[in-house]
Order: sequence, then C-alpha cells, then structure tokens
Amino acid sequence: MASEVTAKEKPGEHPVLWVARPMATAARQFAKSLFRPSTIVYPYERLENPEFRDRLEVASGKPFGVGQVWDNYRGVHALNIATCISCNLCAFSCPDVCIEMVSVPGGDPKHPKKCPQIDYGKCSYCGFCSDACPEGCLTMTTRYELSTPKRSEMIYSPEKLHEIFRSKLPMNPIRLARPENEDAILLDPPLCIGCNACSRDCPTQCITMLDIPKPEAKPGEKLPRRIWKEPVVNDSDCVRCGTCISVCPKECLFWGTRK
Amino acid sequence: MSEMWINMGPQHPMTHGLWNLRVRIDGETVLDVDPEMGYLHRGIEKISEDRHYNEVITLMDRTCYVAGLAWEHLYIIAAEKALRIQPPERADYLRMMCEEFQRIGSHLMWYAAFVQDIGLMSPFLYGMRDRDLVLDLFQSYTGARMTYEYMRVGGVRNDLPPGFTDQARKVLDWLVPRFKEYDQLCLGSDIFHKRCDHLGVLSASDCIRHGVTGPMLRSAGVKRDLRKNRPYSLYKEVDFDVAVADGADVTARYLVRMEEMRQSVRILRQVVDWLDAHPGPVMAETVPRWMGAPYAPVGREGYLLKRQYPKGVGFSSIEEPHGEAQAYVVNEGGEHPYRVKFRSPVFANLSAARTYLVGYHVADIPPIMGSVDVCVGECDR
Repeated sequence: MASEVTAKEKPGEHPVLWVARPMATAARQFAKSLFRPSTIVYPYERLENPEFRDRLEVASGKPFGVGQVWDNYRGVHALNIATCISCNLCAFSCPDVCIEMVSVPGGDPKHPKKCPQIDYGKCSYCGFCSDACPEGCLTMTTRYELSTPKRSEMIYSPEKLHEIFRSKLPMNPIRLARPENEDAILLDPPLCIGCNACSRDCPTQCITMLDIPKPEAKPGEKLPRRIWKEPVVNDSDCVRCGTCISVCPKECLFWGTRK
Repeated sequence: MSEMWINMGPQHPMTHGLWNLRVRIDGETVLDVDPEMGYLHRGIEKISEDRHYNEVITLMDRTCYVAGLAWEHLYIIAAEKALRIQPPERADYLRMMCEEFQRIGSHLMWYAAFVQDIGLMSPFLYGMRDRDLVLDLFQSYTGARMTYEYMRVGGVRNDLPPGFTDQARKVLDWLVPRFKEYDQLCLGSDIFHKRCDHLGVLSASDCIRHGVTGPMLRSAGVKRDLRKNRPYSLYKEVDFDVAVADGADVTARYLVRMEEMRQSVRILRQVVDWLDAHPGPVMAETVPRWMGAPYAPVGREGYLLKRQYPKGVGFSSIEEPHGEAQAYVVNEGGEHPYRVKFRSPVFANLSAARTYLVGYHVADIPPIMGSVDVCVGECDR
C-alpha cells in the first residue's frame, strides 16, 4: 500500500496521542477555514450572481463551478416565442411527457401557433428538449428556485417562459454535438396519394408539391385514385422535425440518407 | 438472556438509504441477520423498454445517485454494442474521465458517510467539501450536479468548455494532499484501529461464493479489477495499478478505497493530458435518427419493420465504484430496447450480510455496513 501513515507506529505510546494526532490535523483545517470558509451564505450570496462569484474564494481555492461555466447550469427553461416554429420536437423528445403544446396568439388562424407549456412538477431537467430544438428558441437558464404554494403554479405557460427569456438570465450555451449525417426525408412514391398533408403542416414550409405526369392507363389496368402531385423536400430549409412523417396518412415518408 | 429480532431500518442512520436489516441478537451478540431490500424498487428495467435508447440515460442517473456517470457509461457500452455504433476515440476518453471523476466523487461520499458511522464529525465535512469540487467540474460540462445526462448513444453530449483541463488539474492537485489528511485523521488514530481492525471479515473464498465484487473483494487480497482483467472503453491505454489490501476487514476496505482514489487521480492525469492534445469530434459520424438524438417522429411501426433494422444484443460489465456492474440490452429492431437488464454489485454485497455480520456486536454493525458502501437506488433499481 502506498499509504504513508502506517497503522500503530508506536504500540506503547500514551493514549492522549491517539486523540492528539488527528486533532492536530483537524485544528489546522479549522485555522485555515477561519480565513477562507468553504461555504457561502446562500440566500444573501448567490453563485449565479456574477459580481459575487468574481470575488468568491473558498477553502479549496477558486471553485470552477462558480466561474463563467456556472452559466451551463440546466435550470428553468426560457422560450423565445417569436422564433418558435411549433415543430413539436421538444414535446416529442421529453422523457417525462411534461411538455404540452398550447396555442399562443399569432400565426394564421387556420393553423394556430403552438408553443411548449412545461409542467415543472414533472420536469427532470434533462435538457433533451433544448437539445432537440432546431431553432434554439427553447434554452435552459440558471434559475432554480421554484417553490410555490399552489400546484397549478408549477405549470409554466409559454408567456411565462417568454418572460424568463426576456429577463436576460444566462442561457445554457451548451449545444448538443449532433452526428454529421443529418438524415433526410425520403419518399416512397408508389404509396403517395398527393394529399398535401405534409406540405401543409411543415413548420418551415420547405415541402412543395410538384406535379407529376399522370401515367397512361394500360388496357385492363385501373389507375390509383390520387392527386398527381408529389412532395419535394428542400433539405437546406428542413429542420428535420419529422412532422411530415407523423402526419402522412399513407406512411410513405421515412428517414433515410440521400445518395 | 432470550433472543430477539430487531429491525435496523428502513429508517435508520446505518442503512444509508431505504432498506431493512433484521438482526437476531442475544444480548449484544449478533446471531443472525436478514437483509430486506426492495423498498426503492422503481421498475427501471421495465420503464426502459418504453423509452428511446437515449432516454434511458435519464434513468441511469437515478439508478445510482452517487455514481450516475458510471451507470451511464455501463448502459451506453451495452446499447452501442446492441446498435453496432462505434464512438469516436475522444468520446471514449471523455467517458473514462467521467467515470474516474465519478469514482473519486463516490468514494469521497462513501468516506464522509463511513466516518459518520464510526462517530467522527469533522472528516465528514472535509469529505463533502472536496466532493463538491468534483461536482463543480461535472456541473461545468454537463450542466448538473447530480443528474448529468451527459452520454449519448454514439458519443457524448458536448465537448469540454474552454479552460476545463486546467481546472481539472488544479482539482487533482488539491485532492492528493487531502487524501493524506484523511489518512492522518483516521489511520493516525489508534481509536480508529481499535474500532475497525478485524471487523466484518469476509474472506476471499466467501466473497467469490457470494458474488461480492469491487473494493470488498480486493480488500480480501483478490487482485480483480475489470479495468485490468477485461479492459473496456480505452482502459488498455492508461497506466494504473489495482488497489489490493490484506485483512478483508473494515480497515482493509478503507485502505483499498483510499488507494483507488489515488489511482484514479493517476488515470485522470493521463486522460486529461490526452484530451488536451487531441481535439476531435465527440459524436459518431453516423447515428441513425431513429436511435435517438436529435429526437423526431420515426413513423409508424409498419415502416420500422420494413426498413430492416439491424438487430443484436449488447452486454457490458464495468468496474463501478461499488463493484462489478453489468448491463444487457436486447435490440429487436425499433426505437425502443426490447429488454434491458442490469446487475447491481451492491445487491450482491448486501445479500452476503449474514456472512460478515454474524458473530460481531450490535455496535459493530454501523461501521461494517458503512464499509460496504451501500447505494440502495442501484441495489433495488
């Protein structure tokens, strides 16, 4: 063993030394802690306060967690309603099903704009929703104080999340390292009926329905009843939210790699 | 004096969690014990079957609340084998760094709880103080202090923030002299030796018979560490020794854990140097979208079957801070794992309680159980 203090160095020593030796170490620690305590006085001193943490020095030196990287903390969300495209990815990725998409003012009346409403009674702060957000409008902040006398107040509406966004708290700047292959949306042409559902519900309007030629019916063959259009996805605008896949009534869209 | 059964637990400072130790005593002597686990069973294996491969990671942090990253690592290795994804080298090094820091954090937590059990108050505060530095490091790159959710199938969530490696070295430099102080506080006192020597002896053959692993096995003189015996991740690349002690008693377990922390510091210095010198991607190039990040609807089940997903099984076993943990993931195609099974080292270590508690006194139970390093969240899953 590499331990430098071996057991029972002097078998016959005075019993006072049994206590005195460890107590000398503890006394040294005590003397150090008089000048640099290890704790902070929480409600009055806050780590998320940049002025406080700049001059903070605890017994172990300057702790790293209170430097600029405290901003990485995953706390309550902030939502920028203006840039939200209602793609539903946050609600889909939530493991605890605490996100519900609710209507907010704005958007055209036919397809109302929907933004996430978060139930903090269920949220586990895993950050999957902000990882999944393609527009970066749902982020996490350093706010962590949530206590409230009413359970209903744990549900934060999009407007309340937007207020947190406007309060200019530091946002978690960590973004997910995404794989390089961003899978594309592919079409199985024989199954498509040209119903326009994908193009209509696409949050970024990157799907256009293009005309395709109607084939000549051979004698005895019946042409399928469909609209002779097919969706074409603009890969550069697509945020890969998968809305088109989930709304397709014929399951003809799927994830794949474009050759 | 007549014999009687007493319950130590489920609410007892000795248990460090929610489990019950039924003890049959005659006066002060322990005649028989009966550990009862299962109070904290949350059905994590069953819940995993209904989640995406990445969403299981949120459960792994809650499986063991002092060694979350080690359990994430365990699951991720098995899931990647089942899905046939190869992570980049830098991600593997980052995972090793996570695991070793987690080992230090977990052992410091054990140290703080253990000295509490034998009646010391100040070392408890020192252990918690130094664990906080490790948590600060975790917070700086994962964003949380306890539930990290850092690893992903195919890599890790994000790269390190700038300035991290310098701070990690500072923390390591701070920790090494602290280990010496811990030894002065505990081993330097004869009271500690009178309390802990020849206590809770569990011989090597008993360990092997009961499936006891980790520091308890190594304290019996068996040189078995999965990082050496069956190297996973990139533990082949780093240089370290296996901590072994003789005696198989409470003091030996203390010595093994202290030495393991020193070896972890040794590994971490090499890993941090490597991370400094080799920037690169932290996520595999090709991770099919339906396997997880980022999350999107994958269509209906008909399409899942049509696309001929690769099927497979993945098995992994790692040297977790408490012992050897194992995971088994079955991929039957589709977005969720078909079956996930975990093997918890603490469950085996606790189940052998009859072997190392019978014959000692009632007042010996807290130090002995403290030296086992109980984490009930992982034991009951």
